[in-house]
Amino acid sequence: MKIKSILIANRGEIAIRIMRTAKQMGIETYAIKTAKEPTAWYLDEADHIIDFTECLSDTPEFLDIERIIYTVKDNKIDAVHPGYGFLAENPVFARRCEEEKINFIGPSSEVIYNMGNKTVAKDLARKYNVPLLRGSKGTLLNADYARRMANIIGYPVILKAAAGGGGRGMRVATNEAEVERMYHLASKESAKAFNDPSMFIEKYVAEPRHIEFQILADKHGNTIHLGERECSIQRKHQKLLEESPSPALDPELRKKMGEAAINIAKAVGYYSAGTVEFLLDADKNFYFMEMNTRIQVEHPVTEMVTGIDLIEQMIRIAQGEKLRISQEEVRLEGHAIEFRINAEDVQSGFSPSLGTIEKISWPEGENIRVDTGVRDGSVITPYFDSMIAKLIVYGESRDKVLQDSTNAIRKSWIKGTKTTLSFCRAVLQNGNFRKGNFNTSFLSSELKIHYHSEPDEEMLAAFFAVYDYARDLEEAEGKKLNVDKGKNITPWLLNKRLR
Amino acid sequence: MAEKNKGAKTTKKSQLIALSAANKQYSFTNPLERVVKYKGENVKIKLYEDPNGFSYVLWKNKKYPLEIIEKSQNKYTVMLNGVWHSFTVETPFSLKRKKFLESQAGTSSSVTIDAPMPGKIVEVLIEEGAEVKSGESLLILEAMKMQNEISSHVDGVVKKIAIRQNDSVMKDDLLIEIEKS
Repeated sequence: MKIKSILIANRGEIAIRIMRTAKQMGIETYAIKTAKEPTAWYLDEADHIIDFTECLSDTPEFLDIERIIYTVKDNKIDAVHPGYGFLAENPVFARRCEEEKINFIGPSSEVIYNMGNKTVAKDLARKYNVPLLRGSKGTLLNADYARRMANIIGYPVILKAAAGGGGRGMRVATNEAEVERMYHLASKESAKAFNDPSMFIEKYVAEPRHIEFQILADKHGNTIHLGERECSIQRKHQKLLEESPSPALDPELRKKMGEAAINIAKAVGYYSAGTVEFLLDADKNFYFMEMNTRIQVEHPVTEMVTGIDLIEQMIRIAQGEKLRISQEEVRLEGHAIEFRINAEDVQSGFSPSLGTIEKISWPEGENIRVDTGVRDGSVITPYFDSMIAKLIVYGESRDKVLQDSTNAIRKSWIKGTKTTLSFCRAVLQNGNFRKGNFNTSFLSSELKIHYHSEPDEEMLAAFFAVYDYARDLEEAEGKKLNVDKGKNITPWLLNKRLR
Repeated sequence: MAEKNKGAKTTKKSQLIALSAANKQYSFTNPLERVVKYKGENVKIKLYEDPNGFSYVLWKNKKYPLEIIEKSQNKYTVMLNGVWHSFTVETPFSLKRKKFLESQAGTSSSVTIDAPMPGKIVEVLIEEGAEVKSGESLLILEAMKMQNEISSHVDGVVKKIAIRQNDSVMKDDLLIEIEKS
């Protein structure tokens, strides 16, 4: 059935991204307004705004299942797009949508449940002969059991939350003494983040690449893959930069991994857009990790190299349409890199940087895409994720993209908050990254300094400090007459007149 | 008053030094003039404000956006091209005095572990008087829903624990003091 209206149960850049495609398809869009950011940009992009500013419960707005369900029914909205995070992979929400005959733009609640529970997902993969890492077959009973399992598997091991994702509830243990402590840490974190303390354990591959495959599947049994995304540049399991294709894959390996990804999707009866994650070790063996049953943050790199709008596909699939593209018709052309720009202080261990974005200016160009939810005056609150923008650079080859990216990063100016732009520059400067020679240990072992500063930059900054200080002195001591006026005059204005 | 004015004049003409956190000295003479003296050479550093409200410096044909992100008395943090740099601005005299005072103070053998980000103390893993090794976990700080292990970067003995479980801390709050061994 054709979707005429969509509620976007999300905020920020992804809400704007989804609305952009919805509008092109002639679909009316609804956004949720919260008291936490009542003037956010995504609200301006929606056709209709649902007001959640009045607090009705302790549940955060975008997690309030029943309130969202009620809203959709009350406004006679056809469908819900959950974006990523929040309720995107919550089987209860998807099931409530099914019960209320609301079109949930994503897979079925059953699939979300099965894939969300990593042990269930692994059992399925095992059944279909997709390679897996040695580990516990189910969740662990307790810390002592974890220790005994670890001794059998061999060190290092990784403890993972069964309900985990996004790097939370994960700890590596390198020896027997560490296992119990790491078990408690990860389990506690998981209980807090996902309301489920259960853990599993598996062999830890020390320096793997993180490669994921984009899947598209319709409700009629057609499943294709749109190539891979290389997501090895991570910090504490949080992705910072993604690209497609991966420098590590050749057509043969791509075909093998793509087929494995399709097998998993078919095994669970998947429909919608989804992602199958693999680890790739130094010898190019790959292991299934998990399937993400949502649109991913890094989906734009796939869109750039395939020319396929993934949000459009998700909506069409939800409407019951058949895929119009066959696997043979999927062409991967050129190269794309996405830089995540987070409001974080790279120089202080990536700690959150809150405040107001005074000014923001992006590079422009045919091969540059910026997906963002912030603009001049946007406030970065502690309530939501620190990612404020994604800068995507496309080109005919990886070398060309690297070259253009350096310029694009240089032309991205953000005033008022600290961002990971300095980190992006550091990665682009790194020789091994440029050669395509890296894995998930890149940040801890290869990139010793996580920001990049050109040789004269500290001197120029020093000059500005001296300049400002000298101006203050001059103003305070010499120009009593101009005191009132001088308050609002920045050195810059005077400077323009002078020079 | 007359004397002060004279002082201002000499400041404008004379030398100011930005001292970086790593003790690097950047000395400029005549910082407010068209031509500035840096390392004995006359250089032109052009400062601009563009119509969009960005400030930038033009240096060797490249634009570097910049802003002052913190300023109190002579302490500055300047963000330039996305990287921040901290300085104290000194006169040749104040720099000399500073160095003298530092040489008198001697070196302290205790180090402090400060909160790297705002958050909540979930668990304290050590006790006062305990011996710790570099890399050993001291406490767990929850921030942005992540449990972060804060570890020691020195070998030593825990001298003081300034926080307790469930305390909320701000960035740079003192957490633990360690006497280096």
